[in-house]
Amino acid sequence: MITPSEVIEHLFCPRFTYFMNCLNIPQHEELRYKVQKGRELHSRREKENKEYLRKKIGCVDKELSVYVASPVLRVRGIIDEVLTFTDGSMAPLDYKYTEYRDYLFVTHKVQSVLYAMLIKEVYHMPVLRGYICYARDGTDLKEIIYKPEDFKYAVSVVNEIFNVILMGYYPKKSSWPNRCTDCCYKNICV
Amino acid sequence: MAANETLLWVIYDIVEDKARNRVAKACKGKGLYRVQKSAFLGTLNRNQVDELKIMCEDLINCKVDSLYIFPLCEDDFKKVKLLGQAFDKKLVSAELLAKFF
Repeated sequence: MITPSEVIEHLFCPRFTYFMNCLNIPQHEELRYKVQKGRELHSRREKENKEYLRKKIGCVDKELSVYVASPVLRVRGIIDEVLTFTDGSMAPLDYKYTEYRDYLFVTHKVQSVLYAMLIKEVYHMPVLRGYICYARDGTDLKEIIYKPEDFKYAVSVVNEIFNVILMGYYPKKSSWPNRCTDCCYKNICV
Repeated sequence: MAANETLLWVIYDIVEDKARNRVAKACKGKGLYRVQKSAFLGTLNRNQVDELKIMCEDLINCKVDSLYIFPLCEDDFKKVKLLGQAFDKKLVSAELLAKFF
């Protein structure tokens, strides 16, 4: 099973999947300062203000750091918060150590969609929306309303990843050359 | 210099020795050149600039210290006037390094 983080990396550049899952070359992301800060934020969030409920968005209950896995979806992961609303629906909430932008990153959206699919399967409850909390320079909460095509797209990305892993072919690199400048695999990627 | 890299100055005034040394180490670690005791110059990409900003933010005491990160375009860099003990402009703008590789 793969994790939503691996899906994010694949969307950033498909060759990440090849280097990480086929060649088993670690990316050592833990050495990056921003990753360390993000992990710090997650561990602090688990300890501080555990009982806080986001009543503004109609949340009545929440669970912290929930591990969910689905052999059907072939995805597993830890959801930062699983929120329950008054109407009985549920939603994933993910914390990001990034600046809030006016637009939503596709990577963040797909990750949230995958979490929504996992919640649906494990809890058997409707999941109509998800939230992303941007916790850099203050906090900004962004809502994502899921559309049916979002789920289809997420499934197609997961299938694509498994194709690379099972067939072991060398995928095309990202069409955005800007992404290569700060990539950890740039020295071995041809 | 690559298209997605920017030339930038890092200039600081930090009270505590420990914090000052750590900021200098962070700047050197990112590949910047020491131009003066509290002034660094070099080329970084957007993510590296952002990372350096967060690192320095954590190291300095915002109540008493000050640190500037000034981006500089290549045209303006060519207009820089150097008097006295000048630094190697070609080394800073990665022109010399490009010749090696």
